[in-house]
Amino acid sequence: MSTIEQNPPSPGGPPSAPPPAAKGRGAGAAAGIVWTLAPYVVSVLLAFLVGGALIQAMGYPAVDALEAVLTSSFDSRFGLIETLHKWVPIVLCAYAFAIPLATGKFNIGAEGQMLLGATGGAAIGITFSDLPAIVLLPATLVAGVLAGAVWAGIAALLLVRFRVNEVLSTVLLNFVSFKLIDWVATKVWPDAGAGHPATTPVGEGARLPLIGEAPGLHSGVLLVLALAIFIAVGMRFTPTGFEMRAVGDNPRASLINGVRTSRLAGAGLVLGGGAAGLAGAIDVAGVHGRMLEGMQSNFLILGIIVGLMARGSMLALPFVAFGIAVLEFGAGTMQLVAAVPVEMVLVIEALILLFLLLSDLVRNRLRGAA
Amino acid sequence: MTTTARLEMTEVVKTFGPVRALDSVSLEVGAREVHGLLGGNGAGKTTLMNVLFGLYKADSGTVRIDGREVTITSPRDAIELGVGMVHQTFLQVDTYTVVENVVLGTPLEGGSHRAGLAAARAKIAEISERFGLDVDPDAVVEELPVGVRQRVEIIKALYRGAKVLILDEPTTNLTPQEVDALFASLRTMVAEGMSVILITHKIRETLAVCDKMTVMRDGARVQTLDRADTDAEHLAAIMVGESHGSYETPTLTEAVALGTEAPGAVVGEEHVGGFEPGVSVVGATVRNDHGVELVSGFDLEVGKGEIVGFAGVAGNGQVELAEALAGVRPLERGSITVHGSALSGKPTAQWLDGGVAYVPEDRHRDGILPTSGITENLILGSHRSARVRRRGLIDWRAARQRAAEAIDKFSIRADSPATRAGDLSGGNIQRVILARAFAHRPRLLILHNPTRGLDIGSTRFVYEQIREATAAGCSVVVISEDLDEVIAIADRVIALYQGTQAGEWASSQVDPYEIGRRMTGLGTASVGGAA
Repeated sequence: MSTIEQNPPSPGGPPSAPPPAAKGRGAGAAAGIVWTLAPYVVSVLLAFLVGGALIQAMGYPAVDALEAVLTSSFDSRFGLIETLHKWVPIVLCAYAFAIPLATGKFNIGAEGQMLLGATGGAAIGITFSDLPAIVLLPATLVAGVLAGAVWAGIAALLLVRFRVNEVLSTVLLNFVSFKLIDWVATKVWPDAGAGHPATTPVGEGARLPLIGEAPGLHSGVLLVLALAIFIAVGMRFTPTGFEMRAVGDNPRASLINGVRTSRLAGAGLVLGGGAAGLAGAIDVAGVHGRMLEGMQSNFLILGIIVGLMARGSMLALPFVAFGIAVLEFGAGTMQLVAAVPVEMVLVIEALILLFLLLSDLVRNRLRGAA
Repeated sequence: MTTTARLEMTEVVKTFGPVRALDSVSLEVGAREVHGLLGGNGAGKTTLMNVLFGLYKADSGTVRIDGREVTITSPRDAIELGVGMVHQTFLQVDTYTVVENVVLGTPLEGGSHRAGLAAARAKIAEISERFGLDVDPDAVVEELPVGVRQRVEIIKALYRGAKVLILDEPTTNLTPQEVDALFASLRTMVAEGMSVILITHKIRETLAVCDKMTVMRDGARVQTLDRADTDAEHLAAIMVGESHGSYETPTLTEAVALGTEAPGAVVGEEHVGGFEPGVSVVGATVRNDHGVELVSGFDLEVGKGEIVGFAGVAGNGQVELAEALAGVRPLERGSITVHGSALSGKPTAQWLDGGVAYVPEDRHRDGILPTSGITENLILGSHRSARVRRRGLIDWRAARQRAAEAIDKFSIRADSPATRAGDLSGGNIQRVILARAFAHRPRLLILHNPTRGLDIGSTRFVYEQIREATAAGCSVVVISEDLDEVIAIADRVIALYQGTQAGEWASSQVDPYEIGRRMTGLGTASVGGAA
């Protein structure tokens, strides 16, 4: 056990989010930052402690395993690029969850929306494969956004018009999407040689340009970075962003003060679906070059974890997502180095979230006593 | 004085975190005594009684009942020791009958459930008869009016053998007639040897029914007085306290609302010369959330600078009327015009732009964003207007600036504009809501129970703000279950019964008993009635 505790805190390591909009002046601000950051740090440390103990108990070398998880993203250029490539769908699926959550709605359909986005992108990329990149690439990405938004829009319409619970509709639409992409990948544009249900490749013009020599970083990463800034600013400074936060805080009070709450809740779902759709389209255009079954991986659950960890802060969300991307990429290396199953990382992520949620209780107690 | 007191609480201390809610409070209540527990909001009255009833555990202090020291750690202990409490909100199973609600949680005697219920029914009828608590034991609770449901709650305590009965602000939702009946029952109880503790902030009521009264302020006992040795002025002075600067005699309006002065004394406050036309409501018909038409064909004129007060028992369409006037609830039929602009059918945001401000009854549910700061709360509703935006985006720096000014002007007790609204006290939340309402420069101001639960200082502040608004030509609608308040501040009083106007009086001609009759559905058919 004692060996585990010596785990070096890795440079720029796991989810240590910045203070989400901790505004204040003077000493109060510093205290605010500490109160905001401390739970993250403590939760991550505790999760690694417990996770390490579990790995050790299962008979694997805990230190080697955790070191692999934490450092492999930063060991090589390849590692960093792969981590950033993973970061893109994680952060977008986190938006897909967190934006509707800001209005008090739960979108559990990010994987379906992502698959639809991938299908939409692939459909454009395959059908118009001869078009030049300047036309085809934007069209591919936009098609992905629209497809994801439309898919979430079904749930939004059901919610606003018929008050159908969005948790149910978004979850169930995931299953519909699985059937749909199965049909697309095996009947519409099947690639017989792929050995796995997948479409034929999209045209060259639909591929995201790579940055740097091979293996290059696809430019979707920069696009998402810009989007992250746009969303953080938009949520804080636009009237619509304010309305979303207001509705999430108290829908009745918002309604009484002139906010069209149900319309806004629907809009939140559609925006979230658009984000997930973009994740699908970027993975098609930047990573796989085609739509393939299983590309949604476990991004739904990671998006939810990140969305919850960010606690409503659109500023913290990309950073938290990066931490999770590091863990996710490190998982593969861990399996190679220490033979620990990759699922162990999911356990650690879950532990971080649990400790983070527990920290609310602890913090309130501490503050109450102070 | 050789007999021991029925109840003796000695040096009770209770702290919540850094707040000392009860600072070494002692209370002595004799048998055959109605004891008034008086004080403003946050004075610690309810906290003290919650300690006695076992809902809170005191940090230190002792409780004696009939001279014997007791430990009360739960309401069950309290009930076994003969302490009963009637809370402001009733915990009743709506679909059960009176008998079923009363016996719930007590063992039934007799061989079978049926026999047990029959025995209980007889006992309840007997209690009801003996203390003048008129209740039909077989009625289903949800069909009973508030006053009767309160009687059920009192019977519940008596059925469990209470000899000390605590009533927490029992008159809030009662008509004057019901208040009289309640007080008569209380007198019967003490005549039979019981003790009653009456928590209230209404001085007139304590003087009407209590033998002794203890005044509390800021978690401490100020003084215990005999009824014979005091009067309204004296009590009000003690309640407000010298610590808040020199005690000013309240204006007549305030005195009526605070209950130091009998209503009807407001003669001479009538507005001379009438009002310019301001707000006009024609044939308004409104449905509630379940589609039931609660307000039908409602007509109303409110002049510029006029205050129209609606008196009524809760659940007679107040919420629906208020929300319809505020543009939150769509009209089924009819129209509403505010200072010349027809607003019915438009989205709520346009009503706000048109100068309609609404101060809702349920502050927490309808009024604030609890986890957002005061700045965000103040901006809500005007967040799309040009005055909070710069280049299309919300100018938070200016918003914080204005929030700081509002905190100052409205004396909101908060650390900074970033303080979360949910962390504020009830009175300060109301000040935030008022600050927001007045920032709209209202032409029509709708206030629903604007001072419920507020202390004297905050109540006075609300009235001052309302007067300032009317001076600027704002039309004001006050909907309140506190009849005294309506009578005190309105130029015109309208009794509301089942969504219709059951009577109208100019402020100089009000008769509270007549209003009470009308708002409970009496006397509308027979012309003149028995005024």
